[in-house]
Amino acid sequence: MKTPSHAKKIRDAVLFREIWKAMKVTFKHMFHRPMTFEYPREKRTIPDAHRGALGLLRYDNGQERCVGCDLCEAACPSRCIKVISEQDKAMPLQRYATEFYIDITKCVFCGYCVEACPVNALAMTKVYEYSTADKRTLLFDKARLYDIGDRYIDDARKYLYAHNQEKNDEESRAYRYHFPQPVGNAESSDA
Amino acid sequence: MPLKPVTTPDAAAASIALNVDGETVTAKEGVSLYDVISGMGKIVPAMCYHYTFDPFGSCGMCLVMQEGKKSPVRSCTAKAAEGMVIRTDGDDLFAARKKAVEKHLSVHPLDCPVCDADGHCELQDTAFEHGVTNLANAKQKNIPEDTRSLVLDFNMNRCIACGECINICKDVLRIDALQFMKKDGFTQVVAKGDQPLDCEFCGDCLAVCPVGAITNKFSKYVYKPWQLRKTTTTCNYCGDGCQMYVETKDTQVVRVTSPLSWKHKWGERADTVNGHGGICVRGRFGFQFIDSHDRLKTPLLRQDGRLVPVSWIEALENAAERLGRIRDTHGADAVAGVITARCTNEELYVFQKFMRTVIGTNNVDSSARYGHMNFVRAAHHALGIHRMMNTSADLTGAQAILVVGADITETNPVASVRVKAAIGTSRASVIVVDAMRTNLAKLASHPVMVAPGTEGALIKGMIASALARDLVDPDVASNMPEALQSLKTAVVSVSLDAVAAETGASVDAIHEITTVFAEASRAVIVCGEGIVRQRGGYDHVLALIDLAWVTGKLHRPGCGINTFVEEGNEQGAVDMGVAPEFLPGPADYDGPARQKFSEAWGAPLPNARPGHALPDILDACRAGAVKALYVIGENPLATLPKSFGVEEALKRLDLLVCQDPFLTETAHHAHVVFPACTFAEKDGTVTNQEGKVQFVRPALDALGESAPDWHIMAGLANAMGRELPYDTTQDIQAEIRKCLPGYYNLGRPRPVTADPAAYLRNGYRESVGARYAGGGGGGRAGAAGRPYAMKLIQLIYHSGKLSTRASGLMDIAPNTRALRMTPEDCRRLGVENGGRVRVTSDQGRLELAVQPDVGVLPGTCVFPEHFNDPPVKDLSRVDVDPVTRVPYFKVTPVTIETV
Amino acid sequence: MAPMEDQRDTVYKVDPAHPETGDLPTLRTEELLLNMGPQHPATHGVLKVILDLEGERITKSTVVMGFLHRGVEKLAEAGTYHQFIPHTDRLDYVCAMYNNFAYCRAVEKLMNVTVPERAEYLRTLVAEVQRIIGHLFWLGTQALDIGAMTVFFYTFRDREILLDWFDELCGARLTTSWYRIGGVERELTASLEKKLRDFLDYFPPKIDEYVVFLEKNRIWLARTVGVAVVSAEDALSFGLSGPTLRGSGVDYDLRKYESYGAYPQCEFSVPVGKNGDTYDRYWVRIEEMRESVKIVRQCMERMPKDGPVMADVPSVTLPPKDRVFTNLESMIQQFKLFSQGFDAPPGEVYCGTEAHKGELGFYIVSTGGGKPYRLKIRAPSFIHMGAFDHMAKGYMIADAVTIFGSYDIVMGECDR
Repeated sequence: MKTPSHAKKIRDAVLFREIWKAMKVTFKHMFHRPMTFEYPREKRTIPDAHRGALGLLRYDNGQERCVGCDLCEAACPSRCIKVISEQDKAMPLQRYATEFYIDITKCVFCGYCVEACPVNALAMTKVYEYSTADKRTLLFDKARLYDIGDRYIDDARKYLYAHNQEKNDEESRAYRYHFPQPVGNAESSDA
Repeated sequence: MPLKPVTTPDAAAASIALNVDGETVTAKEGVSLYDVISGMGKIVPAMCYHYTFDPFGSCGMCLVMQEGKKSPVRSCTAKAAEGMVIRTDGDDLFAARKKAVEKHLSVHPLDCPVCDADGHCELQDTAFEHGVTNLANAKQKNIPEDTRSLVLDFNMNRCIACGECINICKDVLRIDALQFMKKDGFTQVVAKGDQPLDCEFCGDCLAVCPVGAITNKFSKYVYKPWQLRKTTTTCNYCGDGCQMYVETKDTQVVRVTSPLSWKHKWGERADTVNGHGGICVRGRFGFQFIDSHDRLKTPLLRQDGRLVPVSWIEALENAAERLGRIRDTHGADAVAGVITARCTNEELYVFQKFMRTVIGTNNVDSSARYGHMNFVRAAHHALGIHRMMNTSADLTGAQAILVVGADITETNPVASVRVKAAIGTSRASVIVVDAMRTNLAKLASHPVMVAPGTEGALIKGMIASALARDLVDPDVASNMPEALQSLKTAVVSVSLDAVAAETGASVDAIHEITTVFAEASRAVIVCGEGIVRQRGGYDHVLALIDLAWVTGKLHRPGCGINTFVEEGNEQGAVDMGVAPEFLPGPADYDGPARQKFSEAWGAPLPNARPGHALPDILDACRAGAVKALYVIGENPLATLPKSFGVEEALKRLDLLVCQDPFLTETAHHAHVVFPACTFAEKDGTVTNQEGKVQFVRPALDALGESAPDWHIMAGLANAMGRELPYDTTQDIQAEIRKCLPGYYNLGRPRPVTADPAAYLRNGYRESVGARYAGGGGGGRAGAAGRPYAMKLIQLIYHSGKLSTRASGLMDIAPNTRALRMTPEDCRRLGVENGGRVRVTSDQGRLELAVQPDVGVLPGTCVFPEHFNDPPVKDLSRVDVDPVTRVPYFKVTPVTIETV
Repeated sequence: MAPMEDQRDTVYKVDPAHPETGDLPTLRTEELLLNMGPQHPATHGVLKVILDLEGERITKSTVVMGFLHRGVEKLAEAGTYHQFIPHTDRLDYVCAMYNNFAYCRAVEKLMNVTVPERAEYLRTLVAEVQRIIGHLFWLGTQALDIGAMTVFFYTFRDREILLDWFDELCGARLTTSWYRIGGVERELTASLEKKLRDFLDYFPPKIDEYVVFLEKNRIWLARTVGVAVVSAEDALSFGLSGPTLRGSGVDYDLRKYESYGAYPQCEFSVPVGKNGDTYDRYWVRIEEMRESVKIVRQCMERMPKDGPVMADVPSVTLPPKDRVFTNLESMIQQFKLFSQGFDAPPGEVYCGTEAHKGELGFYIVSTGGGKPYRLKIRAPSFIHMGAFDHMAKGYMIADAVTIFGSYDIVMGECDR
């Protein structure tokens, strides 16, 4: 690089040339569309892969997908999931989660629980607006998680597709966990 | 068992040398190749192998290459032979093992998400280790799950047919409740005869199942192994003191497991003499009382006739103030205390110290008084020891075992496995003398059934037989001729024919069992509640000691006299001196130890007399001499028959302080109730019947406001103005260590040696005559116009009253409210199952249903002592032993008529 | 390249031992102890520095750290290797991707896992994008510390584009957790590729724009040139790394000299400064951004068009989800890996990675089993703070912020 002459340096210093050059750039930006937007009224588009609030999913016929296997609990790096499972009183030998808690205050939104779930019962949605004045409401229970899952089922599906958890085809959607059967009821059932 | 010799070589078998992976090892001829390899520390995967039983050889995983053979061999079923060259590792073996896993996996269902074994599954581990991918031809079996059993579910889809459950049941526990059966085209494990499982429900099959084929109904689907916190603790239900793992999830006990597991499969078969690591039905399935809803959560105080919850401070101050007042106005001996032997050693120690120093009375007793004290006092008197003489290894190694009056498969199931092992591995002769056709009697070589209450007579008959036929040990004859002569003189009055008539056993049988017992070089006596809890118990234990002495079974190695105890820490209660006659040690209260403890505790100790034992305390309450009673965990109202007048005694009290996890029948009469913790929330030690001091560790936080018993006692002492300076159980342990050096002894039982010399030289001649004067025993119970003997028995599924709070055990063995009689007697009386009879004793009459039971002898009827509904125990009369003050109420003569 | 020597004469020399400035006539002097932080807005988090002052000059500085200590290294011992990845996001929370990368590389080294080629390119590409983010963040905040607010807005504007790109890539803007042991979680989509290409065209002129604001600005020069000079020898003995080391003229870059990922397949140069002052560290970072753009571009071109992005090592890596639904062996793999983790061989491994701050190293001690026995993080921020006293001695209070700013300190990483 060419070294500027001494005279030029003095001239630049006296005229504050570097300031003018910078002002030029700043001035150009005055004609630029604003980069910001006014959040509560405008919202950014959330990508499909976004890891937002967790929801529990159901099969198309309304049956809960979760079998209460607790693998999400094991996979969770922040230990914020708590699954309490037991035998379904109505359908013996079927395991289901009686209670399912996610402590959103502890959740790190890593998505491991979704990755771990062997029945794809969990999915993340684009929901991110659940700030509250009462911290206790951030302990999401089973009802709330199913509510999120039901309400944002499209987001949840897209999340699963985006993260290769499920394919957007019939075969993948038809997957269902088959429970062991009790004595005297040998025919396999989907119920 | 064709494979039997493979793993249990003769001690005299020749040594052989073979080469394993380039190393030369020596082994006994005839052992399994697998044992040789695992003995080197090399672990060859095997899913059907467990060291406690013989190799089965079904999983096909333990493949090794033997030089000279083309294909791999199964090492578990191959015998090690001289000069073998073995390779245990290599790609070809890995591939062959992988193929074996694939074979199991290809018919395994996709059950991991719901399977309780997931995370604790050998198939999972092995498949993962061998990197199985892309199974060809995977298909599921679709066998329906067998949920008929009360305790276990059998999911045969998951079964890999390793046979571990069947083998442990057959070889180790000798119950043989399971079998393979070809059903629906698959080999399945089913209960014998494809019936609903009906066995002791020890659950050892569950423990060894390497997959989730056998699952626990009580914790089904509520956990995954990785969620559980495992606490190693000691079981509280009986004196065996089994180690177990209480597995908890948050505040809930999910399951109880034992060191026996498919995971601990590599071991030395010889080690099983110390126990196979399993637990029994009570330990494994009787945990629900720990977090039961019935638990007391706050202290209760009687106000206006009702027990109302109050704060700890209020309850403690109230109790302390009233205790202090009674002590000051009526003297310290107006206060008495009773504690349960389920408490820890530390609590028992603090209790007797509290009563003796803070209150200043010697009226302390524990539930060891109900029977164990007979053995302790007799052994103390005659032999100078305070507990059983032998270890479990002695039991397994014995040539002859005399089990008298002890239904040990019911009362002490895990200790009974040692006797079963003696039958199985060393072909020991087992003599069972009992009033029931017990499970052990079915396995025993010499079962002798006697009428209830005549066990003592039979022992005297055996002594007479031994003396008559000169089965006396030569050492005894030469060392103690005088004592022997006096015994001979005394026994003259015992007629074998009279004994035979009284007991119902033939003279020949008595001769035979005496011969078998006397001639065995290692012979062990085990006595139980049939001796120590029945009339004349003290004398009968002394008679057993006589028998052991004359036949030379007191001083020879591997011989001895033993008792099995019912509650978890009865031995600890004795060792901690919770009895008016003992100080910690146990040392005689009257002896020189009193001065030592008085100095150690910095307080004068009360005089030895009066120092009431449990029945005398209740008598004194009734008489008004004792005004305040402090009851910890004990429930005399529900335990003792009504005729003993416990209720009247409690009602006369000015102050009854109860301290219990539950609101017991006794606590309903209490003025103050303190909520105590169960063993699963406590820290401390318990001493098992063998003398092993073992740890109890807290698996859960104390429920509600409940507190450990020692903590409550320390609080009460504080409130009474005398500090017991304990912050933790370690403080108490430190004090016990100072007072009783070597008591903890790193958990190993301190060896005891019986020395009858002093007893035989001093006063034996004078006393022995009186003991044998009556001819036989305490008199047949069925006399006096009451033809039936009614016996209160213990069930394997229950222990005391505590287990009736465990819903799991109540599911397995609910209160049938029926009297059990032999089917013949039922036929003679003309009643069917469920038919009603009237039972009359001197104390009263009762109508109840009848249930046929083949284990009961004719002329006998039994009822489980754990249940008070209907109040069968109230038909009994209580006799108190003149020497040991043990209350006897187990056997009652009754008449039975149909209604 | 910016000229260096000719600006030397404008430097205000402050060295107490200097014959010229050291002999200044002193008035009343009194030593003053100043606690700066941990709530000071300019300390880049919760850093506390105790400054011994003589007038406004720093004679000694004591760094107090640990206000943001969360026991991350201890947390690693409690979970499986896989579970630690989200925790690494929270080390240097500005550049989560590079932390993920460094950690995954260490575990891969321990487990001896080879990453598929496409995954290597993707990892390199995203790591360089992350480097740009990191440098933009540094530039903005450093300029703000010195007083140039405009640069802050512009760099954050461009950083935002990349953060949104991350959001689309892995679902989160900052806590990415995109790297996996054995590969990456997710493929690039067509939309992501297009957005990245657009950015690569958009970005280089923007770098020139930032430079316009700073390069000749006399305040910037006065505050950076000749400030906090650390010689090459000192830099090496303090264990400095990354741009802080290269600013002192030491040509040391792990990407080049202990190459990993797809860096061997990319052509790029390593900018090296001369004077070891704050200005040189600034200049190295600006040049690195330009190089990063080149690397990203090369990765996009040379990357295999398809292929797996996750190694297929059943004992370490997760099975594809569709196989879990239908195959028992994949189900077992899934359950074993999530509940118990993979069985690491006993041993120790150290793996250093050139993050944008310097050498980010993970040292793992394994005694077998699914969890590390000990995990130590060599965090560049922490190491660099060790040189603070040396570098700040003799400068003004106002310079303290720019000095630790100049080695891009993030307390999340520093305190761990």
